[in-house]
Amino acid sequence: MTARPGGVEGGLPAAPRRATVAASTKVVELWRARELLAQLVRKELKVRYRNSALGFLWSMLTPVLMTAVFSVVFTQIVRIPVADFAAFFISGYLVWQFLQNSCQGAIHSIVGNGDLIKKVYFPREVLPLSHVFSQLIHLLLALLVLSPYLVYARGWGVLLHLPTTLLAIALLTVFTSGIAMWFAGVNVAFRDLQELFVVIFQVWFYATPVIYPLALVTAQIGERFAWVSTLIQINPATWFIELARFGLYGSVTVQAGGDGPLLSGAPTLPGAEVVLVAGLWAFAALAFGYATFRRRARTFAKEV
Amino acid sequence: MGGRNRRSLGQLTGAQADPTQPAIVVDGVTETFRLYHERPSGLKERLARMRRASYTDFNALEDVSFAVAHGESVAIIGPNGSGKSTLLKLLARILPPDAGTVLTNGRVASLLELGAGFHGDLTGRENIRLNGAILGLTGGEIEERFEEIVEFAGVRHLLDTAVRTYSSGLEVRLGFAVAVTVDPDILLVDEVLAVGDAEFQHRSLERMRSFRDQGKTFLLVSHDLDAVRDMCDRAIVLDRGRVVFDGPVSEGVDLYRQRVVSRSAPRVDQRRGSRQATIEDVRLVDVDGEEVSEVAPAAKLAVRIRLRARTEVEVCSVGLVVSRGDGTHLFEVHTTWQGVAVGPLQAGQEATVEVRFTANLLAGHYAIACSVTDVSGRETWAVVAEAARFAVSPAPGGAGLVDLAATAVVTDGPARRTGDGKGAPIPLPRLQRRQARG
Repeated sequence: MTARPGGVEGGLPAAPRRATVAASTKVVELWRARELLAQLVRKELKVRYRNSALGFLWSMLTPVLMTAVFSVVFTQIVRIPVADFAAFFISGYLVWQFLQNSCQGAIHSIVGNGDLIKKVYFPREVLPLSHVFSQLIHLLLALLVLSPYLVYARGWGVLLHLPTTLLAIALLTVFTSGIAMWFAGVNVAFRDLQELFVVIFQVWFYATPVIYPLALVTAQIGERFAWVSTLIQINPATWFIELARFGLYGSVTVQAGGDGPLLSGAPTLPGAEVVLVAGLWAFAALAFGYATFRRRARTFAKEV
Repeated sequence: MGGRNRRSLGQLTGAQADPTQPAIVVDGVTETFRLYHERPSGLKERLARMRRASYTDFNALEDVSFAVAHGESVAIIGPNGSGKSTLLKLLARILPPDAGTVLTNGRVASLLELGAGFHGDLTGRENIRLNGAILGLTGGEIEERFEEIVEFAGVRHLLDTAVRTYSSGLEVRLGFAVAVTVDPDILLVDEVLAVGDAEFQHRSLERMRSFRDQGKTFLLVSHDLDAVRDMCDRAIVLDRGRVVFDGPVSEGVDLYRQRVVSRSAPRVDQRRGSRQATIEDVRLVDVDGEEVSEVAPAAKLAVRIRLRARTEVEVCSVGLVVSRGDGTHLFEVHTTWQGVAVGPLQAGQEATVEVRFTANLLAGHYAIACSVTDVSGRETWAVVAEAARFAVSPAPGGAGLVDLAATAVVTDGPARRTGDGKGAPIPLPRLQRRQARG
């Protein structure tokens, strides 16, 4: 009754299930599971605001409130010398929120769905990715609602440079997918990652030019803290925020002479190096995050 | 190698069955679970605990191998904890094997849990779509089968209300309705028949029967042995992670019953009541005096019982009970009924008694118990509950409990020989059902 499959090279049954399943097979599987992804995103969106009176508007309220508070603080108390701080802040903050909220949902996506993981087979990637895509929809809708304000503050260039914004969002989605999968996968074995999450993102937030422009860092940082400047520039999130700001707000440059005030230009095309760095980070994060997730996914059903 | 390239994309992802290959191949599979005594759930704990956490590795499955051809219906049975659910999870791709390989050929669907992914806040309609997607249906397929699902579950009037308000029975029906519309090549079913009311269970079995009749491959894990006998042709019996039997379903069920009974039966102290005598050794032998455990029907056997007297024994009798795998008492005899007794014996003296019989039994597993009693049979001095076990190999000729050694002859009219005398007898439960229906 036992058949020996060895030695039957050309005639092995389709889709052998070992760790070394070809990546192409996995991608095909993921594509076939797109309906599941869509359904999960729909569920995310519907369930999140089911009982709240304001419903979907809550996802808008947080960034708007934060913008109001930060604007007061950083224009009146501690001055960040950029024009239209509110517009400056919100253009970066919305994008940041997308990254943070996606990871926050994703980190619990495997451990919180233990029953499902242990009972049904489906490509596990859809769980963290459903958070990424539902947050993407939040982001796009928020931008839609806020675009009148941005146009008012920064001019029609905002609409003109929509492709730049969309490119930034696209690359950021790729990046976030990788990071989200990494968090989701690693958290299963190292549960304290979800405890460290808050700290990690706090630090990451301040290490990213959301409140302040990158130009200010390079201009003002002293010799002793040159490493901070390097750190901020190595930070991948920096490049996505900067890239998004090109389209939504404009560029911030230091006036010739080094010590002069900052110039906030209108929305413009991004420099090639920004796009390049962002693109590289995006695909590197995706590759690394996905590989880590795949490796850990083998034992999800035992550990979760 | 060249053959591989010619496979379609559907076959590459296992979505289409390749009819030239077996449906399922499991080869040398071992699955290990690590049971931590105190689970270190984080980096901090692992660092704080410089030595490794204490754990035991336990093999849920050990070196399991078998193959299933397209269209076969196989039951996986075994005592609790024998690894059945783990095996199904391996076949359903939920767990990867720690050793060995698992290969499936064709679209696999598993009914391990109904209503997977159901969310109380979504409506029935939305949950059907979500559950269907989780089970692997594409958007188009869900739409196609939507009406069918709603009909089968009977939820049309509640389609747009939150599932939170459904009764649990309705939820189960809905989950099942979605699950059965998945049309795989290989279906794995695990204990899911245990939930629901009688009507639901009947419907589930109907659906599964039709699935099997369509020629699809079907694997069932269940403790409902009647259902197992009814639905499957082949049984694989697992015990503590190993395959102990792989063959016709009725034999497998017998073996399983015997194992379960022998496990749960209280361990009779082998030397109980050993004031006067003890049973030292029991052997089942054939005509040549060789010890046997598997015999042909109507084989001549003998049970050799060696007993030893502890005190002075005037006279005693030896008894023998033959029972079926599930404990059914088949035959009992005491030597005194045939006018034979043992004695007198000095303290410490031994005697050997041989009880000869013809195994007029049908295929199955049997056990022999022996006892030493006083002449009247009222006092039992020593008893061994399962002194010997033996199996009778299958042979044509009859079904039921006993073999009456029947032969058929046409005394008037034309006759011919059919087949090769290997026609399968009708299993007992089906006979009983037929009789009950009258």
